[in-house]
Amino acid sequence: MAVKIRLKRMGQKKAPFYRIIVADSRSPRDGKFIDQIGTYDPTVEPSAFNVDEEAAKKWLANGAQPTDTVNKLFKNAGIL
Amino acid sequence: MTSQIILKNQDNKISKKLDQIVELSLLYDFYGALLKDHQREIYEDYILNDLSLSEIASVQDISRQGVYDIIKRCSKQLIDYEKKLQLIEKFNNTKDRINQINVLAKDIKEHGNLEDIDQIEKISYQILDEF
Repeated sequence: MAVKIRLKRMGQKKAPFYRIIVADSRSPRDGKFIDQIGTYDPTVEPSAFNVDEEAAKKWLANGAQPTDTVNKLFKNAGIL
Repeated sequence: MTSQIILKNQDNKISKKLDQIVELSLLYDFYGALLKDHQREIYEDYILNDLSLSEIASVQDISRQGVYDIIKRCSKQLIDYEKKLQLIEKFNNTKDRINQINVLAKDIKEHGNLEDIDQIEKISYQILDEF
């Protein structure tokens, strides 16, 4: 099963807040996800990025593909 | 184990791409209702759900280039609305000022510093001026 790690926009209108989720890539629009491994909050200064490092590494080791944006967040956080 | 990482300066590429997504999603919050349904669906998937161009292309059954063009065009449209209406700019300015008032009000509560009241009055006029 192809699995992806994506950002998912949450939060109210005009107050963006993101979850970092693991989801099946075959049905990208159904909104279901397998696991939530972190959050990203751009509204605070500086931006806060929280991630469960162990879970992230486990998913990556199991072949989960991060999207460009998540990839960059991970790189910045030194996970990749 | 959850670790908190503070993202470094905004000048590197990583933050730029993220900033862009956040910025576009704010534009979407304010003006998204003005996009056509079909455009909005694609734009939502790209900006809010972080789907790739090719994923959207296969869901919508159109070409990847088609998706790219739609997203480009929508972004431009939303940016144009902001240029003309400046709702986000006003929203941000007002929010900043309300936060200032909030801090001043707390200061008055805690320290009884009544000079802050003048400051609050001044800020409230600034807010009114912008509408």
